Amino acid sequence: MILDYGPPQKAAPTPMSQTAETDWFELVQTPIDPSAVVRHVRADNDGAIVTFDGFVRNESHSRRTLYLEYEAYTSMALEKIREIGAQMHQKFAIHRVAILHRLGRLEISETSVFIAVSAPHRPAAFDACRFAIDTLKRTVPIWKKEYFEDGGVWADGELPPAPPSRPKAAS
Amino acid sequence: MPPVSSKLRVNVLFFGRVRELTGLKEEAVELPAGATLADLFGLYTARFPRLADFRASLVASRNQEFAAWDTPLSFGDDVAFLPPVSGG
Repeated sequence: MILDYGPPQKAAPTPMSQTAETDWFELVQTPIDPSAVVRHVRADNDGAIVTFDGFVRNESHSRRTLYLEYEAYTSMALEKIREIGAQMHQKFAIHRVAILHRLGRLEISETSVFIAVSAPHRPAAFDACRFAIDTLKRTVPIWKKEYFEDGGVWADGELPPAPPSRPKAAS
Repeated sequence: MPPVSSKLRVNVLFFGRVRELTGLKEEAVELPAGATLADLFGLYTARFPRLADFRASLVASRNQEFAAWDTPLSFGDDVAFLPPVSGG
C-alpha cells in the first residue's frame, strides 16, 4: 500500500495567502499523534486552533465493537483530502490545515481521523473544521469494517455524488 | 458485447465489499473501443451476478475522479466501482 510522505518541512514564515504549502495531508498506518498535528498548524499570527478527533467507539447500533479495519483507495483518497484542504482555504479565512486519516486495524479509542485548523479568529476555524470532517465523510474513498463478536460488517456509509450523465465538453 | 474490432485496456481496482464479493483487488481488462464505465460494469455483473444488486449503491471512478456511468473509457484508465464511503 502506497502512503504519502510525512509532514512537510516547516519553511520560513510566509504570508497568509501562501500558507497552503504548509498544510499536512496524510494517510497513515501507525497511530496519529494529535499534539504533533496541533503543533504543526500553530503559528504566531494565529489566535485559534480547532481540532476534530474522530476515534473508535466501543459500540455500534447497540452492539459491542471489538475493533475496526479501514481501507482506502489511497491515491484517490489523498487527492480528495487535498481538494478538501483547497476548498477550506477558498471558503474560510484560515491559516493552516492538517487532515490525517489512519488505515488498517484500529482498536477501541484509537484515533481514526484527526483534523486541525488554525486561523487568526475562531469562527473561521470552527466552520472550516466542521466542513472538513463533513466533506471527508461524504467524498473520500475510505471504507470502515466493524468487527463484532459474530463477525465483520461494512459500515453503511454515504454514496459520493457522481457527476451527471453525459458530461459537458470538458472531461 | 459486439464483435471486437479495436480494443482498449483499462486497469480496474476493487475495494471494500466489492473486493470481497469478487475476490479481486486489481486486474487489467480489455474492452471494445468506445466502451463506457457501464459496459465495463456489465462485464463484471456477468462474471459476478450478485454484483448487479449493488449497482444502485456504487459510484464509478475514472482516473481518481467520480464519473458518470456513461463516461467513455480510454486506454490506460484506472477504473473502480466504489461502495458508499465510510471514512472518518
